Amino acid sequence: MDPDVEAFETMYREHSPRIYSMACRMAGSPQDGEDLLQEIFLQAYRKMASFKGESSLGTWLYRLALNHCLDYVRSRRAKMNKLTETLDAEHSVEPTAARQTPIAKLDLDRAIERLPDGCREAFVLHDIEGFDHKQVGELLGIAEGTSKSQVFKARMKLRAMLV
Amino acid sequence: MHPTDDVLNEFVEETLGATERAEVEQHLASCAPCRATVDDLREIRAVAKTLEFREPPARAWSRLERAIKLEQEHLTQSAQSPQSQLTPRSRRSLREISVWLAAAAAVVIAVGIGYRVLPRGTTTSAPVASTAPANDAAASVSVEAELKAAEEHYQKAITGLEQIANAGKGSLDTQTASTLQKNLSVIDQAINESRAAVRAQPTSEPAQQSLLESFKAKLALLQDTVALINEMRKGNDAGAARIGSGLRQKG
Repeated sequence: MDPDVEAFETMYREHSPRIYSMACRMAGSPQDGEDLLQEIFLQAYRKMASFKGESSLGTWLYRLALNHCLDYVRSRRAKMNKLTETLDAEHSVEPTAARQTPIAKLDLDRAIERLPDGCREAFVLHDIEGFDHKQVGELLGIAEGTSKSQVFKARMKLRAMLV
Repeated sequence: MHPTDDVLNEFVEETLGATERAEVEQHLASCAPCRATVDDLREIRAVAKTLEFREPPARAWSRLERAIKLEQEHLTQSAQSPQSQLTPRSRRSLREISVWLAAAAAVVIAVGIGYRVLPRGTTTSAPVASTAPANDAAASVSVEAELKAAEEHYQKAITGLEQIANAGKGSLDTQTASTLQKNLSVIDQAINESRAAVRAQPTSEPAQQSLLESFKAKLALLQDTVALINEMRKGNDAGAARIGSGLRQKG
């Protein structure tokens, strides 16, 4: 095997799970996540020469992957012709029976895929990827307050799905 | 009175000021529904932070490796031969002929990427929401036309991959070949049912989406098959086992 490709495969094996996970969650489907993963690593292969080692390889790759996912989100949003999810009032507090069992990670991961695009993107960036609302707002091109509302909406919807 | 959503949100995120926080805590002490909500939201937040990474399917590296090789060959050919004087389109055609196997896989990738950006539930680039009936009719025609175009693209890629897969089936063991055949039959049935649904209701978004997803599933399976055949021909038992295991899990 070409030594360059072999070294690239080693890098792929190490970093692809993190990037694939983010791509699947941002896109909302494993199929789209796989396509994004493909595009991201192909782009990384093309840009490898421009990696100057100013940050770790993992950080460089993550940044590239995040930008690619955000491009995808913007493209999808443009096609949907709606800039933000409509903020509705469906998440007002209503009496609900307390759950008896803890939330399973797998169930939560699956439920995230069923969220509407806008609130899922904000939720993934904030609650999973760890960005604060200001950063989420900048990344998604929405106001900080909208990020807060979308994340809250996502959590309430997840709660309704998981209870 | 219950706290507003904004206040509850800030409480869960622990960004409320001390006074407001104390007020919410006082309310929670006597309001079981709000307490349950806060507990659940906190748990969702906590579990989200601990979600594990997902392992990409085995075929993902095979796809990527083929795409990289294709690109390397293209760069080499462009630099070394008079083909570099040709238009990009001509160069692409020549490349596709010379590395047909890899190009067929690239077609699949291109189709997947091309149609992936379409919003789920629709296949049109026209605005989803429209108030004028005339616009609705136009959008409907556009949706049908784009669906037809998508189906043709998928069908073309599927036909190419089927030819490769059929030619190489002799390399597969009986169990794997049987699993593949079974999976293909299931997907073909789904395609037929989705087609029937689209015929009955041409503008039904779930029917359109179901048809496209079925095509996509068939492409992915055929792509796995080709990747498996390639690995077996290369004598890469580990790679073949990885892909074969993925195929059997789907079966």
